[in-house]
Amino acid sequence: MDKAKSMMDKKGASGPFHVANGQRSFTSVTANGACSSNGDMHHLHRGDEPDCTGSPAKRSRLRRRTESVRRNRPPFPWFGMDIGGTLVKLVYFEPVDITAEEEQEEVENLKSIRRYLTSNVAYGKTGVRDVHLELRNLTMCGRTGNLHFIRFPTQAMHRFIQMGSDKNFSSLHTTLCATGGGAYKFENDFRTMADLELLKLDELDCLIRGLLFVDRVGFNGHPECYYFQNPSDTQNCVKRPCTLDNPFPMLLVNIGSGVSILAVHSQDNYKRVTGTSLGGGTFLGLCCLLTGCETFEEALEMASKGDSTNVDKLVKDIYGGDYERFGLQGSAVASSFGHMMCKERRDSISKEDLARATLVTITNNIGSIARMCAVNEKIERVVFVGNFLRINTVSTKLLAYAMDFWSKGQLKALFLEHEGYFGAVGALMELLKASEDL
Amino acid sequence: QSSVTYIHVVPRTIKKWKCNTYSEIININMIIMNLCVDFDYLCFIIFVAAFPWFGMDIGGTLVKLVYFEPKDITAEEEQEEVENLKSIRRYLTSNTAYGTTGIRDVHLELQDLTLCGRTGNLHFIRFPTQDLPVFLQMGRDKHFSSLHTTLCATGGGAYKFEGDFRTMADLELHKLDELDCLIRGVLYIDSVMPRECYYFENPTDPERCVEKPYPLENPYPLLLVNIGSGVSFLAVYSKNNYKRVTGTSLGGGTFLGLCCLLTGCSTFEEALEMASEGESTRVDKLVRDIYGGDYERFGLPGFAVASSFGNMMSKEKRESVSKEDLARATLVTITNNIGSITRMCALNENIERVVFVGNFLRVNTLSMKLLAYAMDYWSKGQLKALFLRHEGYFGAVGALLELLHPSECL
Repeated sequence: MDKAKSMMDKKGASGPFHVANGQRSFTSVTANGACSSNGDMHHLHRGDEPDCTGSPAKRSRLRRRTESVRRNRPPFPWFGMDIGGTLVKLVYFEPVDITAEEEQEEVENLKSIRRYLTSNVAYGKTGVRDVHLELRNLTMCGRTGNLHFIRFPTQAMHRFIQMGSDKNFSSLHTTLCATGGGAYKFENDFRTMADLELLKLDELDCLIRGLLFVDRVGFNGHPECYYFQNPSDTQNCVKRPCTLDNPFPMLLVNIGSGVSILAVHSQDNYKRVTGTSLGGGTFLGLCCLLTGCETFEEALEMASKGDSTNVDKLVKDIYGGDYERFGLQGSAVASSFGHMMCKERRDSISKEDLARATLVTITNNIGSIARMCAVNEKIERVVFVGNFLRINTVSTKLLAYAMDFWSKGQLKALFLEHEGYFGAVGALMELLKASEDL
Repeated sequence: QSSVTYIHVVPRTIKKWKCNTYSEIININMIIMNLCVDFDYLCFIIFVAAFPWFGMDIGGTLVKLVYFEPKDITAEEEQEEVENLKSIRRYLTSNTAYGTTGIRDVHLELQDLTLCGRTGNLHFIRFPTQDLPVFLQMGRDKHFSSLHTTLCATGGGAYKFEGDFRTMADLELHKLDELDCLIRGVLYIDSVMPRECYYFENPTDPERCVEKPYPLENPYPLLLVNIGSGVSFLAVYSKNNYKRVTGTSLGGGTFLGLCCLLTGCSTFEEALEMASEGESTRVDKLVRDIYGGDYERFGLPGFAVASSFGNMMSKEKRESVSKEDLARATLVTITNNIGSITRMCALNENIERVVFVGNFLRVNTLSMKLLAYAMDYWSKGQLKALFLRHEGYFGAVGALLELLHPSECL
């Protein structure tokens, strides 16, 4: 009995917790202050006053709740959300250590949310769960569970909020930690449509926090971080794992709809060096216009089959060979899309060539800017993240090559498996951290 | 086949040597020096290239030609002048268009210029690199090679088409580096043209935005951004000391190529015309489209572009934008990218003055103002964007200068 009790104590409560002496939940101590009103906390706990005598079961529940308070755990569900310009990234922690009792107590909509998320890999028409990225048996805040990675287009945001409303999400009284521009843009919609208060977090803070966390816990026993060995050699170019021990300083290049470049000297000491508006959104937007494709996957598919040298004007097209004086090889691109001012050339290239040229142009531009920042900031390690690199080996290899080649081996390009999800992970961590502050 | 007239003036003696190569010039130079030492003469050595005087810059998209038309020809000289030289002079100066695509930028003509002891007008001519074969054919037809002039040429095409010049027109090119010529040309023109350099006052205010001259005295250090088909960024520390900091392949060629693809236009002028009528904010995703307002934490105003062409992944938006909007967005994207990289270079190199040249800026006030604005805004007034009237011709001017004052010989 004692053993069972102590196990239960360890596992803690899954429902919302409330301390009878009127102290508000953890959300009240966060700087942001976003939380549901105090009054609402009561209606689910009718009759659970601490001083109410009751069955042993009731006393256990109480003990678990106070234990939970002492452990400062936020109530389930645990989500982290990153609402970007193109995609919403959602991480969801699915507890796997739920006791029978906890399960019994669990409110219906919480259970249904858990079931809906974990038993599907697609949601509606555009939601996708990246199963291959799932982190299993992770321990967070004293609970063990799986971390799921879900994404859907920001265009579908209102449908998502509506779903939250339909599933009565607000009754769960969790704080929804959200980052990305959309946390600000859709704040009111969350409030008015689903009665949900967002705890808004800065996207770059979350990015760094999430990145360091995932690298630390690893990817189901494998390293999260990788690089390419022999990037300049197409035959022998091979992916190799690495870790980010002593990660600082690092140049972090976040390639989403747009690009942010950060010089990170420690977890809390970083600066946004610069950005560029020629990012993943540019690639996709231009591809849709030039080739008639509609999705990122289609665009990449086309790009993989095209030849950009039919579209771009190379140094050798202008010089007849290398531009030796300044070390520019004949194969370097002198003018992206430079051949397209000529009608015969326009008529002779394919959509695949255009897709490839768009990909190469955007990628090389990012690489070039990253290199300049690395030199300026005197940093040798450049970490590339963001969903532009999702299933995009062409770009990752090109970046690896560009960093290596143009810096004559001084710079190293690093990549991370969870690409675009770090902001959402960082938001989740803020949810859990806030509770540690108590 | 190149020929150079080398005049040695010794007191009461004028001796002329005709040299065929630059190494011969160097040899003659040595002989003269020894003579002077031996005979204690004071020597004036005048090196004069034979007419016609051309400088040529064969770029990725355009060939730029500068031609010096002498106005101080004596009756005797005129009588001696060979027929084809006269006909070349007449052809170039009495037309402002050549064939279907050649153009003389009359408004850029420099009149009454004194070069190498001669007075005349400097003419600025351009035609597409695609039409070089036509130009070569013309050179052949006019027996240009019989004039035995050195043709000083720079740009990538000087290397790429060297063989064609030889075989098609029997002409030998004296190849020069494009960036050496660029800098030389910029410094020269600025020294003879008082109002060559200018900037924009109030670039962000369309009502009050006005061009103001900028005297480029003590120009160093200078960041020179050459926007042609592609872009080169040069940090210039002194007349003979510069380095190519970096480059970008997203240049004028990208703007024109993308515009042709996206809008169906065929020329630079058409593309600019469309761009002037479009609205890029329908095509681009702005910070406010993502944040609902400013991204205050990092000082990004809501109207800043977060993702160029970012709205175009949406079918509805694609269907709602016009060709003009697309042309505008292409212009803005390329220009702002150049501006952004420029700023980083200026920061890296600790330089505050940036001069933008190159034919991307020809008749392209939109880009110039955008660059002026971007430099000013993002650097909080630290950087100044400067422009030069002769935009894309400096390489050709530098090549002409090399003909007249060869750096090897002096």
